[in-house]
Amino acid sequence: MRNILGANDEIAAQNRKIFSKRGVVVMNLMGSPGSGKTTLLEKTLARLADKIKIAVIEGDLFTAKDAERIERAGVEVIQINTAGGCHLDAPMIQKACASLNLAEIDLLIVENVGNLVCPAEFDIGENFKAVVLSITEGDDKPLKYPLIFKESAVTLLNKIDLLPFTNFDLQAAREDLTTLHPTTKIFETSCTTGVGLDEWCAWLLGKVAR
Amino acid sequence: MHEATLAENILEIALEAAEQNRATKIFAVGLTLGEMAGVEVEALTLSFDVLKKNTPADNAELKIKRVPIQATCSKCGKSFRLANYNFFCPECDGILILESGRELLVDFVDCE
Repeated sequence: MRNILGANDEIAAQNRKIFSKRGVVVMNLMGSPGSGKTTLLEKTLARLADKIKIAVIEGDLFTAKDAERIERAGVEVIQINTAGGCHLDAPMIQKACASLNLAEIDLLIVENVGNLVCPAEFDIGENFKAVVLSITEGDDKPLKYPLIFKESAVTLLNKIDLLPFTNFDLQAAREDLTTLHPTTKIFETSCTTGVGLDEWCAWLLGKVAR
Repeated sequence: MHEATLAENILEIALEAAEQNRATKIFAVGLTLGEMAGVEVEALTLSFDVLKKNTPADNAELKIKRVPIQATCSKCGKSFRLANYNFFCPECDGILILESGRELLVDFVDCE
């Protein structure tokens, strides 16, 4: 009996060991294309970059657009282009980390390829996963894509300022997320109004301090 | 569409097993796939059928067994088969811990 993802999981375990040895906390940030991952990341960096040393790995099919945005925040960033690949895997992270001085970093944020399915299946050696679900995507997503929400320690209900303009049922979404993952943490955030960002950043900072 | 990656890995495992057994033909590859593993079986089979061409697995068939989502209560210890992803214990106030349903395994490689 052999694990189909055994080769990936082996490298992920190696990554995890190195991260732990160098004292780096790693967050795997996931969510649909357009859910607001990069904007959330920009806002997060603006709040935390003077408190802890952060580096970012950006995963996209093509272009360095996201890496350029993160670079403007004054944070070290490495762009991985998967050239059509729908997720990041452990060997890609291993390779990207070779050019980072991990010992100097407190928090490594890996922004995965925009996708609610595949990234959840691939361990990259992270400490925890986070998923961004924007209000405009609809409240039915947690039960439609259960694995990613089950795997994530935290869900960010993003673009919460758009709630009055949609039929998104916030209570139903929260109930579905909680029944699927009873110990999950949920934040309601808006990068436009700034609501919820301080709470989210305080939680994230707590993960690093621990 | 990570099914292509999974199919590549499955083929690699099967070819390795055939080589170890000095087999030249692979007839079937048995898989165990959990119901909560994000696998689209049709896409997986299609990818495998494309990749296997011109290899000893040319005529190999995927034999797939699905595993239901099973979880055990952390408090009362009872085990349940989950239908609607509700991880609250239906019999006490405990939380259910996933026991099976995430499997992505190659069970056997039938070769000669």
